[in-house]
Amino acid sequence: MSDSEQSEEQNREFKTDEDFDPEFFRNIERKSKIFSCIQCGTCTASCESGKWTALKTRNIIRKVCLGDLTVLKDPDIWLCTTCFACWERCPRNIQPTGVIMELRNYATKLGNISPNHRAVVGYLGNTGHAVPINDITKERRKELGLDELPPTLFKYKTEGEGKELENFKEFMFDLPPVKEEKKPKKKEEKK
Amino acid sequence: MVKEKTFAFFLGCIMPNRYPGIESSTKFMMEKLGYTILPMERASCCPAPGVFRSFNKVDWMVAAARNICIAEQMDTDIITVCNGCFGTLQEVDHHLKENEDHKVLVNEKLKKLGDYEYKGSINVRHAAEVLGYEVGPWGIEEFLVRKVKARVAIHYGCHLLKPVSVRGLDSAEKPSMLEDFLEPLGAESVDFVEKYTCCGAGGGVKAFDGNASMTIFEEKMKNIDAVKPDFILSPCPFCHLQFETGQDWLNKNKGTNYDYPVIHLSQLVAYCMGMDQKQTGLQFQMMGKDYIFQSEEIKQEEEVS
Repeated sequence: MSDSEQSEEQNREFKTDEDFDPEFFRNIERKSKIFSCIQCGTCTASCESGKWTALKTRNIIRKVCLGDLTVLKDPDIWLCTTCFACWERCPRNIQPTGVIMELRNYATKLGNISPNHRAVVGYLGNTGHAVPINDITKERRKELGLDELPPTLFKYKTEGEGKELENFKEFMFDLPPVKEEKKPKKKEEKK
Repeated sequence: MVKEKTFAFFLGCIMPNRYPGIESSTKFMMEKLGYTILPMERASCCPAPGVFRSFNKVDWMVAAARNICIAEQMDTDIITVCNGCFGTLQEVDHHLKENEDHKVLVNEKLKKLGDYEYKGSINVRHAAEVLGYEVGPWGIEEFLVRKVKARVAIHYGCHLLKPVSVRGLDSAEKPSMLEDFLEPLGAESVDFVEKYTCCGAGGGVKAFDGNASMTIFEEKMKNIDAVKPDFILSPCPFCHLQFETGQDWLNKNKGTNYDYPVIHLSQLVAYCMGMDQKQTGLQFQMMGKDYIFQSEEIKQEEEVS
């Protein structure tokens, strides 16, 4: 066995009974009738991201049916571009896009959220925009005869009436604290 | 009753903060068409349907409902020119009109943000749909000052049409709304392989894994390049951004030499209705800086009523 194979063997994750909770996804089942999935694979075949990435929608749906909680740690659920192709084509109308977004909600609650996404939430809290304005755009706006700042929440912040933006930051999209870095592929301890 | 021929203009993020040319074009276009466009003061991000809905669906609905409330207080329908904003606002509006429980839940949380109460008294519209079905290819002709001569690669984007059960605008597999509308403008739509697929930016993928996003985009761009259009047209500023930054990224990392201008539906329509090309802001964009519309004047601007 080569070194790399050996370390792979050591780091391999095995699923245990603790990784399964048939009750956990009950909410998703109620919304999406996910148990009517016949694993036909139309979702995977339609997937515009899965054509190039590791995202296998059918696999994810199967895991949810089995109550496999490891799916919440799976980075692949974040590769869906929400193009709704699978939603449109699913013969059982399971709405896989919706299921993936529900999974992301659970994953976020567990703190499984990428630093880049945290940054986007930060922009929203601080400026009211996911893409804040920059100086060059302000110049261009003036050149085109528009107001330097668009009349959005951000403008009213700089005009000294920023209370709404403060409320926005305080009550919206509260994320769990950043997890401490663990060694990759090592199983995290349950609480 | 909502005011007729009046819209609250929902800006969103990318259009006002990156592509102001689309904003000025949309204003010009809608006013020439006889609509009144009102600013939506204190509106926030829609918030984006892929990213923020993934984090917390309830908060996503509340923030969207807040934006809808602003228009409700103005007694006007909302108009947006972004598929993402349309996706969020139309979907939340549709959902809350049908789901009383969630409406109560959302209104409860809305109180924390300010003096808002969602009633469900207005509709959310996309400019592409207003042009395609209300103005229509049958009605645009009288407003045209010039026609372009161009072969156009149309990119619909995902959230304009899908999910069809919620949007109810056109087929997701073979739509024809934009092709039909652009015909009187002189734009010839060219078909290409996988025309209706995603640009790869949505769902938070562009932020989560830029390389994956670019891999999806690379294929899209290859298919477009194969038919050599004059420009790429999209009704969505986020797709617009992806097409611009994506071409740049491919040129730098994959040795391609793409320089296709990316043009928003509003920019093309505004130009055909008499706006100066300079005012459409194309010169500020990354791609196709030297592109000049090939066009044919059909009447003097003063004659347009």
